[in-house]
Amino acid sequence: MSSDSNYVHPEVLVSTEWVAEHYKDPSIRIIESNEDILLYDTGHVPGAVHIDWRRDLQDQLVRDYIQPSDFAALCSRHGITPETTCVFYGDKSNWWSCYALWVFRLFGHTKVKIMDGGRDLWISQGRPLTREVPNFSTSNYPVPTKRLDQEIRAFFEDTLKHSQQKLPLVDVRSPGEFSGEVTHMPDYPQEGVLRGGHVPGARGVPWKRAVNEDATFKSAAELRKIYQEELGLKPSDNVIAYCRIGERSSHTWFVLTYLLGFSNVRNYDGSWTEWGNRVGAPIERT
Amino acid sequence: MSYPKKLAEIISLMEGLPEMERRETLVSYADQARKQEPREGEAFDLEDIRKDEECTDSVGVFLKVDEAGGCHFRIKLGPQVQTLTRAMTTILCKGLNGLTLEELQAVPQDFVPKIVGAELVRIRSHTVYYILTRMKSAAMVWKKRQVRE
Repeated sequence: MSSDSNYVHPEVLVSTEWVAEHYKDPSIRIIESNEDILLYDTGHVPGAVHIDWRRDLQDQLVRDYIQPSDFAALCSRHGITPETTCVFYGDKSNWWSCYALWVFRLFGHTKVKIMDGGRDLWISQGRPLTREVPNFSTSNYPVPTKRLDQEIRAFFEDTLKHSQQKLPLVDVRSPGEFSGEVTHMPDYPQEGVLRGGHVPGARGVPWKRAVNEDATFKSAAELRKIYQEELGLKPSDNVIAYCRIGERSSHTWFVLTYLLGFSNVRNYDGSWTEWGNRVGAPIERT
Repeated sequence: MSYPKKLAEIISLMEGLPEMERRETLVSYADQARKQEPREGEAFDLEDIRKDEECTDSVGVFLKVDEAGGCHFRIKLGPQVQTLTRAMTTILCKGLNGLTLEELQAVPQDFVPKIVGAELVRIRSHTVYYILTRMKSAAMVWKKRQVRE
């Protein structure tokens, strides 16, 4: 399964080799989620279905996630049941696959995994891609009775309270975004934020520190050094992570929750596009 | 505002396609992006290769201006450039080929959603506008150099 058995939950990471051996298993669904919205169409892991972070997971009118009934319909369309193991992978070092996994967890789907190294590693190893879109028999996924908004998601008010109480806040954006020097990611256009900086009291730990050059996750020892020794976090801490729109912080949420076993981490998906535009929101710059 | 003839034909084709066929056609255009790269032995009047903050990878714009003032572009994209941007590269190289500098500068950006579709124009895909900006910019630089000379 994963290359490092010292992760607290090594079972959530699978290698590209494992996926190559298991993608035909009917109890497993391989799911590609990307930032590049047409990338799946250009070729994907055989048997993989596409879940689009915006079209499929977000409500198109309200800035929020889809409703439980929509989630059930999405899963049913892809032949997913609550017993299906969903293995996510994608571009950008698995940002969006971690985001999709986090949304699946919001709806209580427990059998989730990430393909370590994502799409780029799969391709760099010369593994096959196909443009054939698989067609699975429709399932009957039960409508989740609730969304785990309280458990793994933070809202503006939660984050403000966290800041005021000086509880751990992890800003996973690039150093320039954290300091307020820029209001967008390097290599990205401005996405509409009026103020730069960070939530008062937040500590900056760019998401990228958690991955190797080949997009695989760093070892448990390396991750502990970053988040526990350098940042001083403890696995029992009440932590909120944020970025700009919640995808990079999903990556860090995954690292803290599964690889390091933190029990109380929430992703503030409103992130800087909400905080940096919010009238009256306090901002710190360094 | 009317569009250049070749671009107008592409717009007309894309606007009439159902969503799935539009996606397939865009992927087909993206597949052809490598054909827009400079070829062995070609010479250019201006080469502008850079990576800036609006795109995820380097983009090289190569401009040749013919005797009648028509602009001909070759474009080389880095491997991380998004699929939609690749598709738009092919579309623009085909659709704007041979326009004069003035005609090129007059091309508005509002055709992009018509080609790409509202569903695909959204946050994190705005680099789809980037190639046109770079082409216009290269042409302007060439013109300024001509004036100086």
